Amino acid sequence: MGDFWGFGIIWVVLSVIADWIASIVGRHFYVFTASVQAQEGQAAASFLLMTVVPIFVFVVMMLFYALFRFRRRKGDTGSSTSQVKFNKAYVGLWVTLSLVVNLFLFVHPTASAMQVYWQEGQAYNKSSNELIVDVTAQQWGWSFSYPQYGIQESVDSNGNDVLYLPVDRPVKFVLNSYGDGDGLSEQIDVIHSFWIPAFGMKTDVIPGETRYEYITPTVISDTQQNGMMRVQCAEVCGPGHPYMESNLHVVSQSNFASWVQQQLKLQSGS
Amino acid sequence: MSVTPGNSPLQATGELPVVPRRRMSPPMKGVIWAAIGFLLLNSIVSGIDPDVLHSYVNQVSVVFGWMGAMVGWLFGVGGWDALVKPAFGFPLKWKETVGWRRYFEYSTDHKVIGIQYMVSSGLGFLIAGIAAMMMRLQLMSDHMWLFQYSKGYLTTVGVHGTIMMFSVGTVFMVGGLGNYLIPMMVGSNSSAFSRLSGISVWMVPAGIMTVAFSPLLGDWTTGWRGYQPLASQDGDGIIFYYLGVFILLLSSLIVALNLVATIVFKRAPGLTWNRLPMYAWGMLAVSFLNIIWIPEIMMTFILALLAKIVPLPLFTAVGSPMVYLQMFWLFGHPEVYIVVVPALALWMEILPVLSKKTLFARQWGVIGLVFVMLLSGMVWAHHLFPTQGNSTILPISFFTEMISIPTGFAFMVAIGTIWKSKFTLNTPSLLVLMSMFNFLIGGLTGVFLADPMVNMQLHDTFFVVGHFHYTIIGGMVFSSFAAMYYYLPKFSGRTFNDKWGQFGAYWIFIAFNATFFQFFIVGLRGMNRWVPVYPHYLMWQNFEISICAFLLGFGFLYNIGYIIWAWVKGPAAEENPWKAKTLEWYAPSPAVGTNFETEPQVVNGFYDYSDGAGEAVVFQS
Ligand code: HEM
Ligand SMILES: [Cu+2]
Ligand SMILES: [Cu+2]
Repeated sequence: MGDFWGFGIIWVVLSVIADWIASIVGRHFYVFTASVQAQEGQAAASFLLMTVVPIFVFVVMMLFYALFRFRRRKGDTGSSTSQVKFNKAYVGLWVTLSLVVNLFLFVHPTASAMQVYWQEGQAYNKSSNELIVDVTAQQWGWSFSYPQYGIQESVDSNGNDVLYLPVDRPVKFVLNSYGDGDGLSEQIDVIHSFWIPAFGMKTDVIPGETRYEYITPTVISDTQQNGMMRVQCAEVCGPGHPYMESNLHVVSQSNFASWVQQQLKLQSGS
Repeated sequence: MSVTPGNSPLQATGELPVVPRRRMSPPMKGVIWAAIGFLLLNSIVSGIDPDVLHSYVNQVSVVFGWMGAMVGWLFGVGGWDALVKPAFGFPLKWKETVGWRRYFEYSTDHKVIGIQYMVSSGLGFLIAGIAAMMMRLQLMSDHMWLFQYSKGYLTTVGVHGTIMMFSVGTVFMVGGLGNYLIPMMVGSNSSAFSRLSGISVWMVPAGIMTVAFSPLLGDWTTGWRGYQPLASQDGDGIIFYYLGVFILLLSSLIVALNLVATIVFKRAPGLTWNRLPMYAWGMLAVSFLNIIWIPEIMMTFILALLAKIVPLPLFTAVGSPMVYLQMFWLFGHPEVYIVVVPALALWMEILPVLSKKTLFARQWGVIGLVFVMLLSGMVWAHHLFPTQGNSTILPISFFTEMISIPTGFAFMVAIGTIWKSKFTLNTPSLLVLMSMFNFLIGGLTGVFLADPMVNMQLHDTFFVVGHFHYTIIGGMVFSSFAAMYYYLPKFSGRTFNDKWGQFGAYWIFIAFNATFFQFFIVGLRGMNRWVPVYPHYLMWQNFEISICAFLLGFGFLYNIGYIIWAWVKGPAAEENPWKAKTLEWYAPSPAVGTNFETEPQVVNGFYDYSDGAGEAVVFQS
């Protein structure tokens, strides 16, 4: 019994300490979050981390017990004194707990977080404030258009495709593979994945299908300031895949309005 | 050392094998026949191809040429003399030689075949390891420097992943250790399909070479999945990807059939299912997975190959670009359990022996292996969370989270066995503990990936790369090293110095964790996969990860070198140094020739170490 209680007490103490550390470190799991959705993912990840840490401590402690406590002493050649073949309580508890923990995790955060995300999408669609950005993926680049403002392809001063978003406004990305709907140009392209690391969400772009992604940016920043603020293709799509990225700027609502004007001027000027 | 007849169906004449008249070494003959086969079929197809603009070696002809080469190789290396001719009634002239030469020719001895599988697999490990080192070299900087074009780097990623998965992960512990150990473990002198097995092993080096030389035909950028529709745009090297993996899988399929038949039909009297060793259970579970899923992926590869060379629009937007990936992962997820189930089984095999304590809750260990096998076909689409439509996300996530339960049983059994034991700490047991530690991290990071919301961030980043290297290297490769040290006395009759063994174990353990734990962090910081260039802010961490990776590479070399040294020159070992009770330890060490002169009879379970427990095996003479 001694080993049992000793192990139990050390496990509880270490788990509490480790979970306390995890609660602090876990807050930075996503490193940098710049959207409502990234914060939700971050919360789910913290929760998972706090859940798995005691399991980790349990097994690792057991490995250390094997190394030190139960290690065969020099000169001892006999069989182990304990020869338990089965222990109902231990097995029953293990099976029940692993079932309960997993079912629990499925409900929260797995199903709950997805439900929140999907409901956000529905709410954004109903809101008059929603910004629609058409995103087109093509080997190897992104282009962005803003149908609500008549911007056909947003570019920066060097003529590179660029994504501008106003802070705190819900965005619906409409993701399509390049093509004019003739069924032929889509045919030649491959799968890409639309990812902005700081937004904590990625969605694949499938030739011939339309996909949607819903985001509300929360931080004013850009690619220059933070490398995680970038549009990156995440699914390998050929030799140009490493280069398939675009700059991203999240700006204040008023700066966004003036950027729109400037884009429109640029568009009519050329 | 002599080879005695009896375990080989070829010795029916009763003659003792003799060293035959010097003939050309079979692999040499195989290479020559392969060259002839290639030229022959490539020329024919090239000749009748109506397209006048094609080159002599073109997409279609190279496929047929490769088939010719494969048949030539398998015939030349022994299939013709030992299989084909006897099948048509010609007298069998093939004699098995003795000494080291028998490892370089066709054999029907499961132990020779096992070692051939292990060595071929080791060759794959080295080639793919060199590819890994080249990748890490390139990643030391954020711009191109080692490779000129990104497609060269991406080809290297593909070659690395493909050879590692299909010639190491799937092969070493199953074709290698499985072939070597299983007939002995069930008390038999041969495997069920020993002649077929003798030929299937030669597919492995051929498959490895096909993939390794694929860049000669042209770069391919799809990675180890060979995924369509991208593959159709890629260079012709992708053809060799499909063909090479196809033949490697065929080899594994034959291994699976052979192991299942051996376990089912060749068990010694008294070896009931209740007494079947844990490693045999592991092999049985894995082999069922192989038998179910390998044909599925082989068919997919045929479709993909046709889509490439005909070409057919099966997987483009006219067909559906999603189909290939779904088909791939339908196999691909069971594949990762094919890799890891043998490792779990090995823990349960070694731990009771080295802690001299009865295996705890044996039946739950078996249930775990079987349920992992059953569930593994229901979780594939978690590789596609950002790719699939919304409706399937939650069900797939559910099964994914559930599969951690039977996987956990292996931990439950292992821990229950260690508890209050007298744990002998030596190189193999240390490696098992390390494997448990690594696989634990692999499994717990899997909990994050199974959550779709979190997955949307982690997918296709280095977090995933860290996760699967933890399960595969951490779980399977560390267990394989444990097995090598544990069974060294059986293989060679020699043993190792525990100090140098433990030194090697700590070396790879520290270097491995230093390298791959940082994969998680760099992934969370925004490092995506399949890129030779990346944003500058990630450079220093990548630089330093690469240094750790090189240390790991040297650590593997050290261990392989040390095992080879001990195999050849190590101190002589006792017959049964670990005092194990399983049947393989009743066969002679080193195990050459007949396993059991008299038929063993199993009278007890193998893992009972309590005082009253009698011998597990008796021999009646
Ligand atoms: C010396 C140790 C190893 C190192 C340093 C290493 C490193 C890497 C790196 C850097 C990648 C590229 C990740 C990416 O951009 O997607 C990779 C991919 C991969 N590795 Fe390893 N690796 C090692 C050993 C292994 C082993 C032993 C296996 C399996 C038995 C393995 C299986 C894979 C697979 C399947 C991929 C994915 C390839 C793909 O994306 O197509 N690796 N490895
Ligand atoms: Cu792309
Ligand atoms: Cu890409």
